[in-house]
Amino acid sequence: MTATEIRPALESDLDAIMVIEHSSFGLTAWPSDSMALELAPNADRHYFVALDGELVVGYAGINVVAGHQSNVMTIAVAESSRCRGLGRALMQKLIDSAESQKSVEIFLEVRADNPAAQNLYRSMGFEQIDIRRGYYKPENIDAVIMLKTMPTARTEISSQPLVLGIESSCDETGIGIVRGTTLLANVISSSMDQHARFGGVVPEIAARAHLEALQPAIREALKIANVSLDELDAIAVTNGPGLAGALMVGVGAAKALAVATGKPLYAVNHLVGHVGVDVLERGQVETPTIALLVSGGHTSLLLVRDLLDDVQLLGETIDDAAGEAFDKVSRLLGLGYPGGPQIDKAAANGDAKAIRFPRGLTLPKDMEKHRYDFSFSGLKTAVARWVEVAEATGASVPIADVAASFREAVVDVLVSKAVAACVDHKVPRLLLGGGVVANARLREVAAQKCADVGIELRIPAFELCTDNGAMIAALGAQLVMAGRPPSSLNFAADSTLPVTQVCSL
Amino acid sequence: MSTFLAIDTSGGTCVAIVSEGKTLASVNIDDPMGHSENIGNAIALVLQEAGLNPNQLSSIVVGRGPAPFTGLRVGIAAAIAFAEGVGKPLFGVVSHDAIALAALTATSAAGSNQAAATNANPLLVTTDARRKEVYWSLYSGLDSHGAPIVLDGPNVNKPADLEELLTERNVNPIRTDASLSATSLALVAAAKIAGGGNLEDISALYLRAPDAVEPKAHGKFGKQVSS
Repeated sequence: MTATEIRPALESDLDAIMVIEHSSFGLTAWPSDSMALELAPNADRHYFVALDGELVVGYAGINVVAGHQSNVMTIAVAESSRCRGLGRALMQKLIDSAESQKSVEIFLEVRADNPAAQNLYRSMGFEQIDIRRGYYKPENIDAVIMLKTMPTARTEISSQPLVLGIESSCDETGIGIVRGTTLLANVISSSMDQHARFGGVVPEIAARAHLEALQPAIREALKIANVSLDELDAIAVTNGPGLAGALMVGVGAAKALAVATGKPLYAVNHLVGHVGVDVLERGQVETPTIALLVSGGHTSLLLVRDLLDDVQLLGETIDDAAGEAFDKVSRLLGLGYPGGPQIDKAAANGDAKAIRFPRGLTLPKDMEKHRYDFSFSGLKTAVARWVEVAEATGASVPIADVAASFREAVVDVLVSKAVAACVDHKVPRLLLGGGVVANARLREVAAQKCADVGIELRIPAFELCTDNGAMIAALGAQLVMAGRPPSSLNFAADSTLPVTQVCSL
Repeated sequence: MSTFLAIDTSGGTCVAIVSEGKTLASVNIDDPMGHSENIGNAIALVLQEAGLNPNQLSSIVVGRGPAPFTGLRVGIAAAIAFAEGVGKPLFGVVSHDAIALAALTATSAAGSNQAAATNANPLLVTTDARRKEVYWSLYSGLDSHGAPIVLDGPNVNKPADLEELLTERNVNPIRTDASLSATSLALVAAAKIAGGGNLEDISALYLRAPDAVEPKAHGKFGKQVSS
C-alpha cells in the first residue's frame, strides 16, 4: 500500500475526479461542466483530493460562508481505496476549512441507503436533523440532512453582542434582535392596509400605527429570539431619515427602554441600515460597494467604502421616490395599492417596448448635474398624458402594455445609473435594498446588467430588504463590536439625516 | 409602598416620581416641541434625583392627552417601552384629569374651587388644540378617593362654539389656569386605583381623524380600460 496524502484540488484534477464521480454516484453524478465550475478558483469553495501516490482516489468539497453556515457539496472515495480512513480525512479537511472561516454550522445531505457514510459523519459530530423524501432523482432515494454545530464558533457567537433594533421611519414598525451577525428575530408590523384607500403612506396614520404596534412587536421579538431584555448588550434605533412623527415614536420608545434597562443606546441611520443588513447573510458587508436603495420613501444611490466610517450619497430622487411612482401610476391605471406588485401583475403579459416613456435625468444636459440622481415625476405625468390621449381617441387603454412600459422605464433608469456608478467608481459590486427590490423585473434587469459588466450583485432576502428592525440591530451590533461609543440621550429624530451620519452621538 | 413614574407629553415634557403622595423628583420642560429629544434625559434625571433605580418603581403612569398628535405619542411610546423594560404595570390617565386635580385641590384649603365645583357650576379645563381650537373637559368635583369626576369631555371645539354650548346648557363654569404636572397625573392614578378604577387603556386621545384626503377615484378611466 502506497502513502496517501490530501491536498487542495486543482482544475487539472477534473478528469480523475469525474471517473470517481461516475462510478460512485451513477445516475445522480454531476455533469463534468458543473464539476469544473466547482473546481474553478472561488473564495467560497474549498475542494480537496486524496492522493494515493500520484493517483487521485478521492475528493471532497465544501461551500464555506464566513461566520455562517457551510454546506458539504460532495465527498467520494474510489471503491478500491475505501476503508482506509480517506473519507474521514477528507471530511476533516472540510470541517477545518469551515472552522478557519468561523462558520457556525455545517450541513450535509447523504443518501438514506448509505448507513456507513452516516455513521462516519455521526462519529465526526454530525446529527440528523431532517429527511428529504425522494431527494435523489431519478431513483427517488431519500436524503438524510445532517448538521454539525462548530464548538468554537458557538463560544465565539455567544460572546457577540445581543442587540435589539427599533425601526419606525415609515409605515413599518420593526423590532429586530441580532447576536453579532446572527439574526434571532425580525418582527415587522405594517400599517400598509390602512394607507391603501389613500393611495400612499399617510404620515399621521403611520405614526399612530407605530404606537399601537410597539408593545406587541417588542414582546413577540423577545419571544422568538428567546431572550429577555436583561440579556441585551445594547439597543439601536433609527433616528432618520424618514417621516418625523413616525421616527419620534421609535426614538421616544428606545430612549425610555435604554433608561429602564440601563443598556447603551445607538441612534443609527436608516439608509445605512439597509446596507448593513448584509452582515446577517454574509457575516460582513463587502466593501467597497455601491448600494441602490429603492422604496416608497427613498431612491438613493450610495458609495460605501466602509460601513461605519465612509458612506457617501452619490445621488437620490429629486422628486418622487420610485415606490411612490409605482403607487401613483397604479392608481392612475385603476389598479390597487401598493402599486409595485399590482404593476408587476398587470405588466406580466405586457410589451415593455410598446410605449417609449421618458427616462428621467438621462439626457446629456441633465447628466452633467444629476448623473446619479433620479426623477420619476415627469414619467408619471407622461403616463397620465399617454392614457388621456388614448382615452380621447376612444381607444381602450392597453393596461398591460402601459404597466410594462412604465415599469421598464423605472427599472432601466434605476439599474443603468447604479451600474454606471459601479463602473465610474471601479466598484465591483452592487447591493440592492428597500421594498421595491421585491419587483421581479428590477431584480432580473439588475442581474443581467451586472453580469454583462462583471459586477457582483447582492440582494438580501426580501424580509431584510424591506424596512425592518433587524437591519437596525445589525448596524448597532457592528458599532458595538467596533468599540464605538453609544449615543447620548438627547439626539433628535432627523427626517433628513444625511447618510454620512451613520450613528448620531 | 407604591412608587409611580409619571410621564406626560400632552403639552411640554413632564416627568415625575411620586411615592405615597409625595413627589420625590420632577422635571417640567415647557417646550411644546422637542419631546423626543428631552424624554430620555427627563426620565434619567428624575430617577437620579429620587435616588432610585428603575426596578424600584412599582408602576408607570402615562398621560393620554388630549393633545396635538406628535408630542403626545412620544410620552406614550416612552411609557410603553419603559414599562416593558422594567416589567411593571402601565396605567393611562386623561391628562385633563391631572389639571382638574391641581385646580380642585390647590384652592380647596382657601375655601374653594372644590366646594364650588358642582354639576351646575363645574370646573372647565381647556388646553390648546392648535388650529384655533381647544380641547375641553368639565368636572363636577372630586370623588371620595380624591379623583376628579368628569361630567363631559374630553372634546375638541372652536372656543366660540364651546362658549355657545356652555350657554345653551346654562352652565357657568369655573375656569382655571392650573397647569399640568406629572405629579398630579400620578396622584390621579393613585386615587383612581384606590377607587377600583381600571386604567389599562393607554391609547392616545387625538380627538381628530388623521389629516388625509382620499384621492379622486379614477373610476371613469377604470371602467373603460381593457387589459
